[in-house]
Amino acid sequence: MTAPLLKLSRVARTYRNGDVLVEALKPVDLEVDAGTCVAVTGPSGSGKSTLLHVLGCLDRATSGTYLLDGRDVTTLADRDLAAVRNRLIGFVFQRFHLLRDETAERNVELPLLYAGVRRAERRRRAAAALEAVGLSSRAAHVPGRLSGGEQQRVAIARALVKEPRLLLADEPTGNLDSASGDAVLAMLDALHARGVTVVLITHDPEVAAHGSRQLTIRNGVVAEVHATAPGA
Amino acid sequence: MSSLLAAFVEGVRHLRRHPLRAALAALTCAVAIAVTVNVVSLSYGMDEDIRRDIARFGRLTIDVGRAPVVRPGAPRASFGEAELATVRATVAGLDATVVPLRSERVTASGDAEVRQMVLAAVGVGFPRTLAISLKAGRFLRPEDRGLAACVLDESSAKSLFPGVAPAAVVGRTVRLARAAPADVPVVGVLEDPMTYRALFEAFDEGRGARTLISALLSFRNVYVPEDAIASAELTTVSVVLPDEARLATAYDRLVKVWPAGGVDADPATLAPINVFARKAWMDAFGGATQTGAFLGNIVWILVCLVACVMISTLNLVAIRERYDELAIRRCEGARRRDVVAQVAAEGLVTSVVGGLAGLPLGVLGADVLARIVMFPFRFDARFAGVAVLVSVVLGLLSSAIPARRAAALDPAAVLSRRLS
Repeated sequence: MTAPLLKLSRVARTYRNGDVLVEALKPVDLEVDAGTCVAVTGPSGSGKSTLLHVLGCLDRATSGTYLLDGRDVTTLADRDLAAVRNRLIGFVFQRFHLLRDETAERNVELPLLYAGVRRAERRRRAAAALEAVGLSSRAAHVPGRLSGGEQQRVAIARALVKEPRLLLADEPTGNLDSASGDAVLAMLDALHARGVTVVLITHDPEVAAHGSRQLTIRNGVVAEVHATAPGA
Repeated sequence: MSSLLAAFVEGVRHLRRHPLRAALAALTCAVAIAVTVNVVSLSYGMDEDIRRDIARFGRLTIDVGRAPVVRPGAPRASFGEAELATVRATVAGLDATVVPLRSERVTASGDAEVRQMVLAAVGVGFPRTLAISLKAGRFLRPEDRGLAACVLDESSAKSLFPGVAPAAVVGRTVRLARAAPADVPVVGVLEDPMTYRALFEAFDEGRGARTLISALLSFRNVYVPEDAIASAELTTVSVVLPDEARLATAYDRLVKVWPAGGVDADPATLAPINVFARKAWMDAFGGATQTGAFLGNIVWILVCLVACVMISTLNLVAIRERYDELAIRRCEGARRRDVVAQVAAEGLVTSVVGGLAGLPLGVLGADVLARIVMFPFRFDARFAGVAVLVSVVLGLLSSAIPARRAAALDPAAVLSRRLS
């Protein structure tokens, strides 16, 4: 039996909003095996994004232990967390979060820049990633000149280019029309099929249906909704 | 290392995409560097001029003479041939040139009526006590006797013959209002070593006025042959030594005969006859110019500090507008030090570019200022190095706080819009 890719033990996240202490994520125990596609649903403000930020090592758990690929990331220094984000985790956000002054190609190159990859190799891999999402012809365009669907595909290419083990998608279709949304979901399905572990945050049940495993989160409490046996 | 270099390159790319903001920061730096170059060039120029001027006062000369002021009721000491003989005997064997000088106050007139001047009866060896050349004509010769000829200091020539060039003053006549008025032909004009006469006079009126040589070294004299003043009394005896070692020996010997008169000596404490080393007087005068250089340094440091605050504020505003970009970079693997490197690179590049632009601006500004206020301006190649160094420090200082702010940014807070 292989160790889970993600293992959270009593992980909680609270933060202060003025004088108020907000429990964004109440203590959660969770294991996610490699190659799983987990859909997390819940209403706005339920703690979905907080969970994603903790899973993505963008935010630190206030308490508990989080093992990512067998490594306790709750105690890592900033530079090690940056390396984890850079090498293991791909991000796709609802608002795309692309560098607006940079071309699609340069956006896709960004993770490789911080991985110390040489320029020629960066360009080659970015071109391949853009080709994989069908945007070779738009490589020289800045995000402002791309449609929402294209911007999200650039974001997926940026995640793809580092060949992540974990892809975190936060409402990836939230800002897209249905055709573009379907195309993006098809790409996430394809990544899942290639063995990438996907955590899909959404409030849309149709999108959540793409997950082989579904969780719900409400008031910071995570609960299992449905589990499908691997390979089903 | 390679990712730090990449962060640096990213910083430069960012500047190219935001040229107006970069230009504003660079311009601020350029002004600061221009002021720095300007002030340093001017103070360096003035310092160089003053050092050159005081180097002409005869560093290897010792003066022995009566105190210019005596205590009320105290008898005026005799200072004549006997004392001259003592000086000669004391410095014997040191290859010294001994130059006696008699002086008296006199009202002189040329084209214009002037106030009192110093009439100095000097030997032909007098020029050896100074390092001043003739502006026009010649100095006194052995065959010049009595009031048959005089040499003017350039400042005296300007007072007596306003608007007349030194060469044209030679051949004119100076009327000396003595007991027996005399018209004395001018045979030469000595150049004025005082580039900044006002500065010298401020010093002279303050610290140096009490020394017996300060009146003579104001270079407003009329020099006449040795026998033109019949008095048996001497004003000073100047001793010129060939080198510093023999200067020290002569001084040590002379102060065993007469006490040393300090530059800042109080008339009440001066002995009737004193020994003055011009070297000490020159050092004191040179030291007085350091105050000006110090004030100049304060000015450019303050201007640089203000520029630093302004650029830092600009950078802070820019960082606030770039939260999204920085959060995305952190999200994709940028370490805090990568962010610091990028922001520092941006600050450094704008400052160095501004510094390089400010360098010619400062040179030009100093040149214009020099023409307007007639202050000297000396640009030294080393200033370019100093300007670049100041730019680098300015760039690093002005980006320190913004870089820290950028590195401390919480990407999760930005991406979830808890921070914007």
